[in-house]
Amino acid sequence: MGSLLKVEGLRRSFGNLHALDGVSLSVDEKTLTILIGPNGSGKTTLLNVITGFQKPDSGRVYYAGNEITGWSPQRVYDQGIARTFQIPAMFGKLSTLENLLVADKNHPGESISKAVLKRLWGRHEQEVTDKASKILELLGLAEQRNTPASLLSGGQMKLVEIGRALMSDAKLYLLDEPVSGVNPTLAHGIFERIIGLREQYGLTFLIIEHRLDIALKYVDYVNAMASGKLIAAGSPKEVIADPRVIEAYLGG
Amino acid sequence: MMAALDQVILFVVDLLALFATYLIINTGLNLQEGVTGIPNFGIVLAVAGGAYVTGSLSTRLAVVLLGVQTNLDPISNNIAVLQLINPVLRSQPAISLGLLILFLLIGGAAGALMGLISSAPAVRLREDYLAITLLAFGEVLNVIGNGFTPLIGGPIGVSLPDVFGWAGEHRFYFATLVMLVIAIAMFAGAGYLIRTPFGRVLRAIRDNEPVAMSLGKDIARYRTSSILVGSLLCGVAGSLWALYSGAVTPTYARFEWTFLPWLMILLGGMGTNLGTILGTLIFVTLDKLIIYYKYSFAGILPFDIVWLNYLLLGIITIIILIYRPEGIVREKWAPSRQSRAEKAKKTG
Repeated sequence: MGSLLKVEGLRRSFGNLHALDGVSLSVDEKTLTILIGPNGSGKTTLLNVITGFQKPDSGRVYYAGNEITGWSPQRVYDQGIARTFQIPAMFGKLSTLENLLVADKNHPGESISKAVLKRLWGRHEQEVTDKASKILELLGLAEQRNTPASLLSGGQMKLVEIGRALMSDAKLYLLDEPVSGVNPTLAHGIFERIIGLREQYGLTFLIIEHRLDIALKYVDYVNAMASGKLIAAGSPKEVIADPRVIEAYLGG
Repeated sequence: MMAALDQVILFVVDLLALFATYLIINTGLNLQEGVTGIPNFGIVLAVAGGAYVTGSLSTRLAVVLLGVQTNLDPISNNIAVLQLINPVLRSQPAISLGLLILFLLIGGAAGALMGLISSAPAVRLREDYLAITLLAFGEVLNVIGNGFTPLIGGPIGVSLPDVFGWAGEHRFYFATLVMLVIAIAMFAGAGYLIRTPFGRVLRAIRDNEPVAMSLGKDIARYRTSSILVGSLLCGVAGSLWALYSGAVTPTYARFEWTFLPWLMILLGGMGTNLGTILGTLIFVTLDKLIIYYKYSFAGILPFDIVWLNYLLLGIITIIILIYRPEGIVREKWAPSRQSRAEKAKKTG
């Protein structure tokens, strides 16, 4: 198992606040890695820097061996890294199905010159609709297919976000709190589906999650951050037992 | 009796011409604001651009294309030149229609150019700043039109070649019919575009820009496309209105060509094509009816009757915003027929 994502010495400050203060970590292929840490420890900033939403002040990001530091979100997405957001972000007036369809890459019908002639994109549209339908089935959202996304429940929105990410055929998925605010049954369901996807398609996940009671059972590795630094990394057991983690996060 | 009927027909035809013009503009505005979420408070720029450039070029082009021999300047001696052109056009329906299409293309191109100019800030600024910038943009053309006489002859304006002249006494009926056909075609075209994957991305950007970006969409490009297409429509409408009225003066006001379209799409329901056409029809009809009948109220109401239509339209707007801010037609893209309430219950 090689490392799929690697970040080295990432720094990013907002004024005097060092959101990332020299973070290095790597995520191995086909693993489920979780990133924990108290609020404000820099987890989301790390995701933003990896996906190009924010530029690092210094440091490097590698994906599948290539440096992608400072690339635009579009380029990062095209490389095969998909992400979700902490607060479920829907295209509210689009249906659940449409929310997934928008995530398709290189859809010919999305260019205005080709959109005019349905002949040029109708078949592709059919293919992605089939693909999206399968993903909705997999996520248990088949019934909500035509529901405007703004009317979904919080947990369903989290699932739509994952579904949207899956549409991209990305290899690496960065999920920002996929089960926060979700009831325990559905939360376990979401993690079980993530495990299923990893087994079935060989996908890699880096997940920010506070709900350790649920997540720890499923993950391979844990990275713990505090005040912009990585304070521990390793197997769930090791990290949870680490005194620094207990002090910073678990409130010893 | 016949006179009364004639009056009704005249009223309806007049109304339909205005309806067609506004339908094109509102389709363009809805594409930008309703579908893409770009608050274009400067569409007067594209409408006036289409009208002024058509006014400026139409007589000049007609002189060249019809091979009219004259030393007179098409703008400063506008009326004299048109006296040479219009008789030719009256006897040549096919050439007239050809010129009409050419002028509309020019108007559309001028509108799109104006759109391109407004898109420069539009892809960079946040919504509220953008609205104010575009509001200011809209004023620029009238200043130029007033001050730079070679454009449309300064404050007095110019007349245009009468491309509908060959229809004789049926000129207004025929012109209205042409306008309606063009308007419906553009309306249907935009309706199609909204439902393509391209339109889906526009709606996605409107609903959530950062997520659209995270899904690899080039936001600036889509916003520019939306403004270009919307402004092209507005330019065609400006051009058409100028050709229909036969003259252009640099008085294309923000009120008529920006605020009223906004009110119409607010009334009908943002983002929906059905709302656009309903809002336009209801608003234009109301406006015309009020103007037509308002003088019957002279002396009864305690204020100058001239303002009655503005007043009533203002009241209607406030009522919409309070009681039905989403407009008459709600956006409903999902094909399912279930009511929103049912859906909410089911998915809650």
